[in-house]
Amino acid sequence: MVAKEINQPTVKAPGRAWLLGFAGWAVPGLGHVLQGKWVRALILGGAVWTMFIVGLVIGGHLFRIGPNDQGFAAVLQLLPMSANFGAGLLYLGCWLTNTGFAEQAQRVTYEYGNTFLLCAGLLNYLAMLDAFDIAAGRKQ
Amino acid sequence: MRHVLWMALFASLTAFVFGVVAKGSDRQRLMYGLKVFAEFMVIAFILGWVLYFLPLR
Repeated sequence: MVAKEINQPTVKAPGRAWLLGFAGWAVPGLGHVLQGKWVRALILGGAVWTMFIVGLVIGGHLFRIGPNDQGFAAVLQLLPMSANFGAGLLYLGCWLTNTGFAEQAQRVTYEYGNTFLLCAGLLNYLAMLDAFDIAAGRKQ
Repeated sequence: MRHVLWMALFASLTAFVFGVVAKGSDRQRLMYGLKVFAEFMVIAFILGWVLYFLPLR
C-alpha cells in the first residue's frame, strides 16, 4: 500500500493549500475551519489549545534562545523551541508578552507542563499537515 | 493519583489527534485512536512499576 502511494505521480499543491496550511499553523484548528471541516477543527484545535493552556497552567515553561545562551547552549534550546514554535500564534503571543518563559521547577507538575507545551506544538504540526493535505486533495 | 490523571489527559489528547489525522474509515481511525491511548497507558504503567523496583537512590 505504501509502495503504491509512493509510486503515484506527485501533483503540485495549489497556493491555497499552502495558505490553509499556514493558517492551521498560526491558529490551531483554523486550517480545517476554513475548509468547512468543523469536527476535525474542533478535535484537532481543541486538543492543541487544551494542551497548550493546561501546560502553562500547571507550571510548564516555553523555550527560546535568550541572550545568555551562547554556542552549544543555544543549540540545545533550538530543538525544544522548534517544538514550541509549532503552536503558532499561541507561542508568538507568549513570546511578545513574555508569558510562560519563567521556569517553575519547584512545582510538582513542572515536567508535565513542559511535556504538554512541547507536544501541543508538535501535534499542531501534524494538524497543519493534515489541513495542507486536505486542501491539496491528497486526503478526504 | 494526580500524576495518573495528567498522564491520562495527555494520552487522550494525543490519541485524539493521532486518530483524526490517520487514514482509513471512521471506524479504523477510532480503533487506531483507542489503540494509541491504550498503548500510552499500558506502557506508562509498565515503566512505572519497573522504575518502582529499581534502586535509584
